[in-house]
Amino acid sequence: MESEAQAAPSSAPESLVREISALWGEYLGTREVGADDDFFVLGGNSLIGIKIVDRVTEDYGVELSVRDFYLAQTPAKVAALIEQGRTRT
Amino acid sequence: MRLTPGPAREIDLDRVDLFDLDLYASGDPHPVWDAMRAKAPLHHQVLPDGREFWSVTRYDDVCRVLGDHREFTSERGTVVTHLGVDDVAAGKLMTSTDPPRHTQVRRAIGARLTARAVASWEDRIRQTIARFLQPALEGGTFDLAEQALLLPAMVTGPLLGIPERDWAELVQLTAMVTAPSDPHFQHGSEAATLAIAHHELVTYVTEWVKLRRATGDADGSLLDHLMNVRAGEAPLTDEEIALDGYSILLGANVTTPHTVSGTVHALIERPEQYAKAQADPSLVPNLVEEGLRWTSAACNFMRYAVSDIRLGGGMIPARGAVVAWIGSANRDESQFADPHQFDITRDNAKRQVAFGFGPHFCVGAPLARLTLRVFFEELLQRCGSIALDGEPRHLRSYFIAGMTHLPIVAKKRMTP
Repeated sequence: MESEAQAAPSSAPESLVREISALWGEYLGTREVGADDDFFVLGGNSLIGIKIVDRVTEDYGVELSVRDFYLAQTPAKVAALIEQGRTRT
Repeated sequence: MRLTPGPAREIDLDRVDLFDLDLYASGDPHPVWDAMRAKAPLHHQVLPDGREFWSVTRYDDVCRVLGDHREFTSERGTVVTHLGVDDVAAGKLMTSTDPPRHTQVRRAIGARLTARAVASWEDRIRQTIARFLQPALEGGTFDLAEQALLLPAMVTGPLLGIPERDWAELVQLTAMVTAPSDPHFQHGSEAATLAIAHHELVTYVTEWVKLRRATGDADGSLLDHLMNVRAGEAPLTDEEIALDGYSILLGANVTTPHTVSGTVHALIERPEQYAKAQADPSLVPNLVEEGLRWTSAACNFMRYAVSDIRLGGGMIPARGAVVAWIGSANRDESQFADPHQFDITRDNAKRQVAFGFGPHFCVGAPLARLTLRVFFEELLQRCGSIALDGEPRHLRSYFIAGMTHLPIVAKKRMTP
């Protein structure tokens, strides 16, 4: 499967990557989430994913594709998706 | 997985890998389970990553594990795909809830799915199945396994309250849950595939509920029922509605297709059984029971031991994961004579445990039985004969025993 997430360069500003890492930390119950940490290795699951994707919509006004979110798998790549979504709208 | 076992072979039970997906996609699990029932009724396996589980394969042991929640809890998860990770939906998703809460919710949901309640659907189901079979009778190759994936959605869509435009997408998502490593359904890793499918399905039901609440529409569908039913003293929570709605979609979609294709395959391999059923349509209900036993589409379910428990001549330690192999229980020679013979006149076929056993017995069983009976009545009446027209392909899953391809050619029946 070709996915936007895999094709996306990690072009997001560092501040956005940090915000997304912090957001993940809130829901994953981990204090420190690194920019390249893997969602599933951190114990992520779909119920946590639903909350994070909803928060991204609320906080950034960007509706992430569910598939892209899970295939991106790291805060850096998810931040890049958000950045992409913002520039598109 | 192949349902008619191949030639007997030497099985080294210390080296058997029940998590080897090749065993189900292209191998032959029945001789393995035969050996386990005979020599290792409580089998222990440690995976390379350190996770471990115990297996029971005998009919009585499978019933005990599935039937007694005081010894074996469902609240840490029931699907082997999630072995070692406690279920995040425990106590909220009906299948991951023990009595007494489970009893309240199941009674509430089940009220709409009893044999009496679903009987009024028979005419509608018959029309749907006639429509489903039509292209098979046009003379060309018909991939029954591929087409059958859509059959439950066609039958249960209206009952659930799901519009036809959403069926294909939902069927794809439920297939991803049951076979996240099958190339037909995989997106990225197994974990990503599962998460995508769970997320989309739960969100689908959540959005459905939101829309109904906003518009105040009520259509008497099963999802509607979930929104309004009272379990115990209170309505279901929104989370319960979303998760049980998901679970119903899953249960409806992922097993019946494989019972259809596996049973038809068995009949193709045994034309004398097909002729027998055609000559006497009153055999169809028993053909359905034998088909359920034979295919055992839900191949296993998992429980966790509450305390140290002696079983099958060994001991399962407290908190240990136990896999109850339904596919094996349904071939237990102590229960079913010549278990690897497919026999539509088998006198105790109805003792099969394909729908599970005990409190978590499939809530959709009456609807599945009705659908299967009507399917085979219509098939036998419309098709004079069925032949294989290519290689059957099996699902790459240790959870659902199924097929991805069953190319057939059917001949119209001339004399009704």
